[in-house]
Amino acid sequence: MNQIFVIAWREITRLRKRFGGGASPVAVILLLGVLGVSAYFLRDTVSLGSGLYRVGISGEVPEISDSRFAVLEVDPQEGQSLLADGSIDLLIVGVDVFSREDDKSQFAERALKQYMEKEELVRVGNSFAEGDAFPLRVGVNYLNAAQPPVTDDAGELAPQTVKPEEVIIPSLTPPPAPFTQVLVALLYIMPITFISIFFTSSFMDEKANRRLTILLSAPVTPFQIILGKMLPYAVFALSTTILIAYLTNGNIPMALMIFAPTTMFIFAIYLMVPLFYRSFKDTTFIAMLVTTMTTAYLVFPAMFTNSSDLAYISPLTLAVKMYRAEPFGWREYLLPSLPMTAIFGFAMFAGTRLLNEEFLMGYKPITRKIGDAIYLMMAHSKPWFAVTLWSLLVIPAVYMAQVVMLAFATNLPVGLILGATLIASALIEEVVKTVGIVVLAEHGVVKSVKEILWLSFLSALGFLVGEKLLLLVSVSVVSEANVSGALFGAGVFLLIPLAAHFFFTAFVTLLRVKLRFPYWLALGIGTVIHFFYNVYVLRGGM
Amino acid sequence: MIYPFIAVVKKEIGSVLRDRTIVISILIQLFIASFSSGLLLGMLSLYDADTIMRFSGEGIRVGVVGKADDPLASLLTERGLNIQTFPTLIEAQSAFYSGEVLALVDAPQNADGLIEVKLYLPDSDTISSLIRMVIQEPLKQYENYLRAERGIEVRYTDLNGKPATSFEFVYSVLIPMLMFFPAFVAGSMSIDMITEEVENKTLQTLLSAPLTVSGMIGAKITSAVTLAIVQCAVWLTLLQMNGIDIQNKAWILLLALVVAGITSTSASITAAFLQDRERSQFIFSLLLLAGVSIGTMLNLSPITTISRLAVGDAYTSGWHVMVFAAFFSVLYFLLLRTARRLMH
Repeated sequence: MNQIFVIAWREITRLRKRFGGGASPVAVILLLGVLGVSAYFLRDTVSLGSGLYRVGISGEVPEISDSRFAVLEVDPQEGQSLLADGSIDLLIVGVDVFSREDDKSQFAERALKQYMEKEELVRVGNSFAEGDAFPLRVGVNYLNAAQPPVTDDAGELAPQTVKPEEVIIPSLTPPPAPFTQVLVALLYIMPITFISIFFTSSFMDEKANRRLTILLSAPVTPFQIILGKMLPYAVFALSTTILIAYLTNGNIPMALMIFAPTTMFIFAIYLMVPLFYRSFKDTTFIAMLVTTMTTAYLVFPAMFTNSSDLAYISPLTLAVKMYRAEPFGWREYLLPSLPMTAIFGFAMFAGTRLLNEEFLMGYKPITRKIGDAIYLMMAHSKPWFAVTLWSLLVIPAVYMAQVVMLAFATNLPVGLILGATLIASALIEEVVKTVGIVVLAEHGVVKSVKEILWLSFLSALGFLVGEKLLLLVSVSVVSEANVSGALFGAGVFLLIPLAAHFFFTAFVTLLRVKLRFPYWLALGIGTVIHFFYNVYVLRGGM
Repeated sequence: MIYPFIAVVKKEIGSVLRDRTIVISILIQLFIASFSSGLLLGMLSLYDADTIMRFSGEGIRVGVVGKADDPLASLLTERGLNIQTFPTLIEAQSAFYSGEVLALVDAPQNADGLIEVKLYLPDSDTISSLIRMVIQEPLKQYENYLRAERGIEVRYTDLNGKPATSFEFVYSVLIPMLMFFPAFVAGSMSIDMITEEVENKTLQTLLSAPLTVSGMIGAKITSAVTLAIVQCAVWLTLLQMNGIDIQNKAWILLLALVVAGITSTSASITAAFLQDRERSQFIFSLLLLAGVSIGTMLNLSPITTISRLAVGDAYTSGWHVMVFAAFFSVLYFLLLRTARRLMH
C-alpha cells in the first residue's frame, strides 16, 4: 500500500513541475478567463441553425435578436422582390409576415413562429395584469389504469391519482424533455475525461523517456505502478464530481455513487491508450475516438429517460433521475454500473500483464499488438481456464460495443437498422469467442483439432454463461426492449444456443488454424452464418 | 529546396496512411455524424409534437368532458387528436379505465377569474410525456383564445411553416462539423509531428538536410492540410450522394482549407513555444475554444459562413472566405518569426 502512495506522490510532483514555472499557468488562466467571458456572452446567442435565415423587415416590427436570423431593413416593395428572388426568406411588414412556398422559407417561418411566441409572451406578461396575461391553469394528474376509482364521502366516484397534482401554465411550462438534465449530467463527464487525458499523457511521457522501464526494475509490481499513477487523477476526478454536485444542488453521496463507476470506466479505457500506442499521432487519434465513443455511449441512452427502459444502460439516466428527484432501485443502478466496473477490473488485469518493457517498446502493426496483448493475458494460466474466463469476462465490453453499434445503426434507413445491428453484433461475438484460441494456436500452445474443438466448446460455454448473467440483471429492467433480447439471443433452451455458439466458434477457428484462411475471411464466413442463424431465431424458428 | 520539402510532406502523409491512424479519424467523423443524426431522429420521434402526430396522431385517443363544439375540444380536434366527448367526468373515467381513451381533459371551470382545466394522464412515463408533447400546442391556442376574451391580442399567431429542426441540424451542425473536424485533427497532428521530432531528438538530423526550420514546419503543415482537405472533399461528395443540396462547393472547400491552415499554423506556433506534446495539446485545445467563441462574438464565425455558403445565402460570397485567408497569412507570418525557437 505504501508503495502505491509513494508512486502517487511522485506523480503529483511530476505534474506540478510540468505545469509550474514559466508562462504557462498565466496563459492557461488567461485563456480560461477568455473562455468564461465569451461563454457568458454567448449563452443566449448560440443555437441550432445559427445564421441560416435572412429576414426583411419594414415598419413597426419587434426587435429580432436570435442568432438564426440576419435582419435587413427594406421598404415593402423592395422586400417583395427580394423575397421573390430568394435573397431573403421572410418579409415582415408590421404584423404581416410574407413567405414563399419553398422549403427554406417555410422553415424560416416556423423558426420565426417559435421566436415570436416567446417575445409576445414577454410583452403580454409585462403589459397586463398576471391574471389576464396568463388566464389558464392546467392541473396535471396521473391515474393508475389498474386501480379503479373509489367512492368518496359524498357518494361520488373520485379518481385515484398516484402523484400530487402539478399545476402548470401551458405557455410558460415546456413539456418534460430531459435535455437540460442530460446537459447537467454531461457536466460531470467533461472534467473526468479531461483529467484522464492527463493521466494518459503522463503514462506516455514516462514511456517515451523510458522512466517507466526504470520504475519496472524497482521492487514494485505493475499493479502498484498503475494504481499509484492513477490515484491522484482519480481523487481529483471524484473531487470535481463532488464540486459539481454541490454547485448544482445535487445529492453529493448519490452523485458519487453514480459517477464512481463511470470514472473507473473512463480511466480504464484511457489506461489502454498508452499501452498500445506507438507514436504521438496514434495517441491523439485513439484518444479522440475513445472520447467520442464514450460520450455517445453515455449521452445517447440518457436522452430517452422515461421514454424507454433502455435508457438505463447509461449512468447519466440515473443522474437525470436524481435531478428530477425520482427514485430508482438497485437493479436500475446495477445495469449501467456493473458492466463499467467489470471493464475497469478487466483493464487493470490487462494492464498488469502488459506493463513490461518488451510489450511497451515493441513497434508492430496495431492488430499484431492486440494479438500479443491477448496472448500475454492468457499465457499465465492453462489454456482451458484462460479461454473460458476470457469469453466470460469480455461480455460487458461486447454489450457496450453492441449498444454503440445500435446508436450507429439508427442512422441507416429503417429497414436496414435491425439487419446491420445483427451483422455487427454477430461479428463482435465471433471475434471475442475465437480470438483467444487463434492467438494461442499462433503461439503454438494449441495444436490438434481435438484441442481446438474442446477450447471452442469452453469458449462458447463461457460466453453463454456471461451472456445469461448479464441478461438476468438487464431483463427485468429492460422489459420492453426486444432488441436486447435479439442481440443477446434470449433463447429458452440453453442447449441450442450453446450448440450454435460452439459450432460457429469451432468453424471459424478451424478455418483459420487448420485450413490457413486469413483471419478476416474466416471471421467473415462465420459472421454470415451466425447472422442467418440469428435471423432464423428472430423469425420465431426456434 | 523544393525537393526536401516534398520529401517531408510525403514522409508525413505516408506515415499516417501506413499506420492507418487516418482510418480512426474517419471513423470518428462517421461516428459523430451518424450518432448525432441518430440522436436527432430519436429526439424528433419522441419529443417533437409534429413528428409524433405524423406517426401516431390517430392512436392518441383523448376523452374530453363537455360539448364537442367547446373551443378547447375543437382546438384538440384541429390538432389531429382522436377526441371523444363525455357529458360527465364519471363517464369519461369509466372510458379511461376500460381503455377506450388514454387521457382525460376535464371541462374548463372558472375559479376566481382564472380558468382551470384538469388533465388526467396515465401513470406511464412514456405515454404521458407523449401526450403532454402533443397537447401543448392546443392548450397554448386555448390560452390565446382566453386572452382574446379579455381583450388582449397576441400578435403573429397565424404563423405556421414547416418543422425546421432537421434542416437546421444538417446545415448548421452536420456540414460545419464534417468540414471543420478534419481541420481540428490537422492542428493536433501538426503538434504531434513537431513535438515528436523535438522529443525524439531527430530535429537536428532533419535540419541537416537542405531545409530551413520554417521550411520543415511548412512541409508538416502542408501534409496535415492536404489530408484534411481530401477528407472534406470526400464528405462533400457523400453528403451530395445522400441527397443533401450543397451550394458553393468550391468556396466551401477553400474555406475548409483556410481553416485547416489556421488551426495547423496556430498549433505549430504553440508547439514552437512549448516544445512538448502534453502542454501544447492542452493549450491548443483551449486556444481553439477561445477562438471559436471570440469569432462567434465578433459575428465572424467560419461556422456561420460555411452554413450560409452551403444554403446558398445571397449575401455571402467568396469575399467572406478571403477575410479568413487574410487572417491565415498573418498567422503564418507570425509562425515564420517564431519557428526559430525550435532551434534552441
